[in-house]
Amino acid sequence: MSENFENELRRALRPVDAPEGFTERVMRALPAQRDPVLPPVVNQQPAYRLVKRFGIPMAFAAALVLSVLLGMHVARVQDQRMAEEREAAGLAASRELMQALHVTSQKLDLAYQAVKTPPSPAGDEENRT
Amino acid sequence: MPDALLARARAGDAGAFAELVRAHQGSVYSIGYRMLNRRDAAEDLAQDVFLQLYRKLDHIESLEHLGFWLRRVAANLAIDWIRRLPHTTTQPLEEGATVAAPQPEDDMLMSRQLDKLLGELSPSARAVMLLRYQEDLDVAEVGTALDMPVNTVKSHIKRSLTQLRSRMIGAKLVDSEAMP
Repeated sequence: MSENFENELRRALRPVDAPEGFTERVMRALPAQRDPVLPPVVNQQPAYRLVKRFGIPMAFAAALVLSVLLGMHVARVQDQRMAEEREAAGLAASRELMQALHVTSQKLDLAYQAVKTPPSPAGDEENRT
Repeated sequence: MPDALLARARAGDAGAFAELVRAHQGSVYSIGYRMLNRRDAAEDLAQDVFLQLYRKLDHIESLEHLGFWLRRVAANLAIDWIRRLPHTTTQPLEEGATVAAPQPEDDMLMSRQLDKLLGELSPSARAVMLLRYQEDLDVAEVGTALDMPVNTVKSHIKRSLTQLRSRMIGAKLVDSEAMP
């Protein structure tokens, strides 16, 4: 950019005069009292300032941690319940097997007894002759 | 102007406050005048700025701070007013305002033409140009006053200078040989 043009610009943009009586009009418009100076913020309790500044993010973080912990707890309870159900089903199956084996054993005993029973007397006589 | 004047104004001395107003009214009024393109609006804006100053006087640390604070508030308030009342951007500049020091006839012509061309820039670009070339703030100060990054200030200046110069060459108010 040409420095010459910038200088011309500075010369052309000299401040203009405020209208006649401007200061007096400003002075008449002044309010009766100025704003009181607020006490410095350092007077606030540090804990209050921390809560004010970090309260919402901390609440979000706490809610997030609680959700994660709750989720982990629910998952653990569900796993435990499924394991118990599997164990109960195993026990029932085992009981049924034992019962089946017991029944089978009884049937075999009966069959064995039938085989071992001595033949009838008529049959003996025939054998003797 | 000693800092004692500021202390007296803070203490409630109306005469001291009037002296502060007199010392800065030209700058503040000129920012309003060239931003809003109307004398009545410029006076309203300048009054508003000095009323704000009166309320915030206890927050002003020094006379240097006072000057910067007034320019910053005036420029930002003018941008707000233009955005709230968009028709003010296209209003032709009224004639009749007098510059602080007498100028030759050519300078007066160029000054009027420049005021008119400034009105064609965006409010932010206009504020940048006024703080830079009317108030002679440096680029960093302009950025701080308008809450704008320095690079944005620089690009506003570059674009506005190019635009103003080409329009003024068109109006035969500057020599085309001055172009880079």
